[in-house]
Amino acid sequence: MKWFSVEDVSNLWPTVKDRFDERLPFRRASLNNKTRNPVFVENLNAEFILTTDSRLRSRFPQEQSLFWFREPYATVVLVTCEDLDEFKTILKPRLKLIVQNDEREWFIVFVSRAHPSNDNAIKSAKKVYDRVQVEFSTKKRERCCKFDIHGPEALFWEDLESKIMDCVRNTLDRRVQFYEDEIRKLSEQRFMPIWNFCNFFILKESLAFMFEMAHLYEDALREYDELELCYLETVNMIGKHRDFGGVEHGDDHAALLNPGNKPLSQIVQDDSFREFEFRQYLFAYQSKLLFKLNRPFEVASRGYSFVISFSKSLTSHEHKLPFCMREVWVITACWDLITASSSQYKAGLVAPDIEKEFYRLQGDLFSLGRVKFMRLAYLVGYGNDIERSPVNSASLSMLPWPRPSVWPSVPSEASSEVLEKEKLILQTTSKTKHFGIQRKELPLEPTVLLREANRRRASLSAGNAFEIFDGSDRSGPDGSSKSPNSQKKAGVSMSRTFSSPGNFEGSPDRPMRIAEIHVAAQHALQETISDEDLWKSLSSVEEFEKKYLELTKGAADNYHRSWWKRHGVVLDGEIAAVCFRHGNFDQAAKSYEKVCALYAGEGWQELLADVLPNLTECQKMLNDQAGYLSSCIRLLSLDKSLFLNKEREAFQAELVRLAHSELKDPVPLDVSSLITFSGIPGPPLELCDGDPGNLSVTVWSGFPDDMTLDSVSLTLMATFNADVGAKAVRSSTAMLKPGRNTITLSLLPPKPGSYVLGVLTGQIGQLRFRSHSFSKGGPADSDDFMSYEKPARPILKVFKPRALVDLAAAISSPLLINEIQWAGIVVRPIDYSLKGAILHIDTGPGLSIEKSFVIEMESCANLSQTEPDTPNSFDSQNGSPTANKQLEQLTLEDGKINFPDWASDMDSVIWVPIWAKSDSLPRGSSSVAPPRPNMVDGMRTIALNLEFGASHNQTFERTIAVHFSDPFHVSSRVIDKCNEGTLLLQVILQSQVKATLTVYDAWLELQDGFVHAGQGDGRPTLGSFPLAVSPTSKGGIIFNICLGKTIDENGAEKSESIVNIRYGISGDRTSGAHPPVAMEYSGSDASRKDLTFRSVLVLQRPVLDPCMAVGFLPLPSVDLRVGQLVPMKWRVEMLKDLEDKEISKHNVLYEVNANPENWMIAGRKRGYIPLSKKQGSRIVISVLCVPLVAGYVRPPQLGLPNVDESDISCNPPGPHLVCIMPPALSSSFCVPV
Amino acid sequence: MATTASFIIVSRNDIPIYEAEVGSATKREDAAQLHQFVLHAALDIVQDLAWTTSAMFLKNIDRFNDLVVSVYVTADKSVRCITLKAFSIRYFLDIFKHTRLMLLHDSRNDDGIKSFFQEVHELYIKVLLNPLYLPGARIASSHFDTKVRALARKYL
Repeated sequence: MKWFSVEDVSNLWPTVKDRFDERLPFRRASLNNKTRNPVFVENLNAEFILTTDSRLRSRFPQEQSLFWFREPYATVVLVTCEDLDEFKTILKPRLKLIVQNDEREWFIVFVSRAHPSNDNAIKSAKKVYDRVQVEFSTKKRERCCKFDIHGPEALFWEDLESKIMDCVRNTLDRRVQFYEDEIRKLSEQRFMPIWNFCNFFILKESLAFMFEMAHLYEDALREYDELELCYLETVNMIGKHRDFGGVEHGDDHAALLNPGNKPLSQIVQDDSFREFEFRQYLFAYQSKLLFKLNRPFEVASRGYSFVISFSKSLTSHEHKLPFCMREVWVITACWDLITASSSQYKAGLVAPDIEKEFYRLQGDLFSLGRVKFMRLAYLVGYGNDIERSPVNSASLSMLPWPRPSVWPSVPSEASSEVLEKEKLILQTTSKTKHFGIQRKELPLEPTVLLREANRRRASLSAGNAFEIFDGSDRSGPDGSSKSPNSQKKAGVSMSRTFSSPGNFEGSPDRPMRIAEIHVAAQHALQETISDEDLWKSLSSVEEFEKKYLELTKGAADNYHRSWWKRHGVVLDGEIAAVCFRHGNFDQAAKSYEKVCALYAGEGWQELLADVLPNLTECQKMLNDQAGYLSSCIRLLSLDKSLFLNKEREAFQAELVRLAHSELKDPVPLDVSSLITFSGIPGPPLELCDGDPGNLSVTVWSGFPDDMTLDSVSLTLMATFNADVGAKAVRSSTAMLKPGRNTITLSLLPPKPGSYVLGVLTGQIGQLRFRSHSFSKGGPADSDDFMSYEKPARPILKVFKPRALVDLAAAISSPLLINEIQWAGIVVRPIDYSLKGAILHIDTGPGLSIEKSFVIEMESCANLSQTEPDTPNSFDSQNGSPTANKQLEQLTLEDGKINFPDWASDMDSVIWVPIWAKSDSLPRGSSSVAPPRPNMVDGMRTIALNLEFGASHNQTFERTIAVHFSDPFHVSSRVIDKCNEGTLLLQVILQSQVKATLTVYDAWLELQDGFVHAGQGDGRPTLGSFPLAVSPTSKGGIIFNICLGKTIDENGAEKSESIVNIRYGISGDRTSGAHPPVAMEYSGSDASRKDLTFRSVLVLQRPVLDPCMAVGFLPLPSVDLRVGQLVPMKWRVEMLKDLEDKEISKHNVLYEVNANPENWMIAGRKRGYIPLSKKQGSRIVISVLCVPLVAGYVRPPQLGLPNVDESDISCNPPGPHLVCIMPPALSSSFCVPV
Repeated sequence: MATTASFIIVSRNDIPIYEAEVGSATKREDAAQLHQFVLHAALDIVQDLAWTTSAMFLKNIDRFNDLVVSVYVTADKSVRCITLKAFSIRYFLDIFKHTRLMLLHDSRNDDGIKSFFQEVHELYIKVLLNPLYLPGARIASSHFDTKVRALARKYL
């Protein structure tokens, strides 16, 4: 509040006061701060008071300098005058007197009361005002302004405000200057003994106060900061023992935000202030200014560090302070700070990082208060209701006990309370963890309270302290028994024999029992705590829990808002613990899940092991089977050392029990962390397409005990295409031992490609589990998947379909048709076992298998190894006996042959007796019409179907062609026509098989029109039998026949001649045709049965006998020249008698054809020539021709149009072209010029 | 030598990959868990602090009564690949996440701690250089363990 004194010279104030007051507070002002920089301040409060006001009068002049800040900032001289003389004589001297005190800022407000209608008055007022200006305003400074009561005001108020601001600024500057000088002077003397902090404080605070009044909060804050620094220096000066303070009632409640808590006079002590009160006082002012500056964040941040540092000072003075004063103070301080700063804080006004930081500080304050609150609660005896979680343990167990000079003892009247407490302690049973997990409970106390309390009792000697430790070994229910230290254990083993009632008021030296300690603490705290809220919170367990929950929630929420997720989530866990205790399992499970997710996600297993059982229990209570099971799995998959084996077995038993009994519906469960699997090291299993197989997989079980899996199946992922799903392989039940197991899974026939391991799934009772992890030891799932890839080693390779076996005909050369022959089928496995293979044989048309004979199977040396691609090598190989030569006779059943075992992986030949039938007789060919080989005739097919593979899943189908043929091809020709009409007929036998044929006999059955010459019986003329015909060679037999007619007795006319050949064959089935199967079995050569071969021969009587011949007689030897006559001559001759021909007229028509452009024919071109019909008659036809052009030209041709062309031999006769020379030079052509 | 010192290496994914109690004090049974808890909670602070400074050694970032947490933040870099499945786009982001060496200690020997961190960092880099070590996996090398303990004896 600024004051402006008003010197009411002309008694005007009552009339204008309201108008002046209306202008307050000043909306905007520009002031100079401590560093003389202009600062704009707003809403400057002020008050106009008369100089006669009592507030100004009561000052002693000597105080003025110190309390200068209370003095008016300016003097407004309110004056009016309408008469110039009056002004000169009365007013002017008076004003001069008033303003002569130059210390003070002043200015004159000339009030003009002249009515606007009154011109004279206005004029005179103006005159007087001009005069006033002349007298009091200087060039430097305008000190006058005129207020027209009846006139327009706006201008005046602006003028007035600017004047006032000028004054304020000047005054402020001067005063600041003054205070600073004073302070500097004092500061220089600081280390002198006479120096007094109080004086310094007064100056500093006055200055700060002044700044604050001027709304220069920054500067005020700086003054207080400096003051605090200075104070801390003086306080910490060695050798000065001052009273700390804080022993008065109500001091326990922190006053760090309440500047008016105590008047300064109560704080002051000698030449300084008591630390306890004064530091809080300073902080209160600082925070007040910070709030005014709208910086609640800073209040919180300064507050937090203030609480920490102040708490330290409290610690050092703890022996003088009431019991637990420090804790109470910290709690209340934190709460006050939280309330104040959060109520002042408006979200969204500050930068995000500040906001984050603010919430973090709030969280810190909450958790600091929470820790101290828990400590008090523990002392009072609510230790059992505090969760022994890592966070509580960490904060409490490292926090030392309060160290009062004397630990409070039980008041005499509190015996009933002690009894009650003791009963309560007896009732509470220590909580057992789920699954019977036995863990050392985390301590909530730095050392055992019992010992600490008794030690601090002044009257207790050390000897007594030991006495209390050698009681029985029964553990106290306060939980401290769980502390591991043996010394501590002794400490807790507080004997209950002491607890006979009525023993309380015994000797004061007797050590206190735990219940007594609690009651004593309670009473002592009641003394200490003045804050009702706090005391209420400690009055009962329920209230404690309420407050505890409130604080925990507050801390958690604020940490969450500040993105300190770890702090937040951990405190969520504490909320969960409370919820859990109250049966609010749903909420508890949610919070616990968050905690577990955090620890699990970051892999802090030891911490996880602490929380996870709680979550599991919640899920069990909630009947969340899926969650419960997965938690069991997580428990099991934690590091083995974190739980005892017994506990782990309990988890497993629980899992198995649920899986087999309680689950109604199948529950899916991810056990990746527990069951991991990988392929067997080494090369991947290789399979051919379509083959089933067994895949061995190594499965690591993390279960502590044997685990029976009802079924296991494994998915394989194809590497070639991620989209194409996976192949599942199955195995029936499997027993998993802890550790490494090998499971063999049977593979369904997969598609070709290479596969990696996918997912392991299986079932335990109603539990469907799946596991994704490939191998143990790797890091947990990492989001950094660029840094390393999961090793995806192919575990299975299925090859593309390829030939696994080859079936082929053993021989390519033809076999004998119409005889039983061995057809060989080569079976060649290609790196694949044919174990148990079955061959289906189906013969094509015209071919049958002789079932009366056995089928033979023999091995042959591995073709594939030696010369895999040349089946010919078979022949050569076969000749050499191999050591492991096998021969087995098989029978055909329903067209199937079962392979013997030995044939599973070696090449073999199956010999099948077959009989190709052909009804038609083979036809021979004559030399005139050469034989056209026709392979199709002798081709027969055998359809083969081989089933093989482990489960006969592979088939191989092939139709092989077997070529059959007659032993010979017969061709015939007439070698010579003898004179007497006999013909020598040569029958040529060409061997068509790869075997030596021996002809023993041959005879010819002739057709009509031919008879055997002589008395032949159709045998060849020369008996050269036996005649051996080598493969592919020819042999010939000559028959002597002649044309003639025989009358057959039967009258049937034979149209074809047939040659019969009795022959034998000697050949090997491995190379081609061979003796028929039946013959082989019949035995020796003696009983050899010759084979008979019949072939049709077509003999034809000559039908085309030309009866005429035309011959072109040679041309004259001279050159033919153009224009030269050439006689062309043809001779026509009858070759035989023409009795029966129609053309047998006497004349034969002839015709000479020539190109008229080339030839000129002189003579008859066409005419009849007389020709006798007798054989040998002849005639020459001569025609004269003149060649017309030179060159090669066709000569004229002679044609006999009436005679059939076939009757003419050598037609057309004559040369094709003749050469015509150009005409010889002739002078007659020369024309003289 | 410090009476209490708990050393831990936290990988980029906040997973502890190496833990050692290197203090001379007889180990309290529950201490390991508490130390873990304190160090874990301190990760919150490291995560804030690491961005505000370029220094690798952050001393006394958190205080737990008598115990103090100091952290050494390594400067390794990892490329994170983000796949937007909806758009079939892959983004490669350079994300600096650090491996942190954290020490919970009660001694005030800042220089010693700093040297300790530097030498352990060197050891850690040697471990990283091992081609058979997957970054982010637990460090199981007994050699490393021995060396770290020796360094702790020397500096802490």
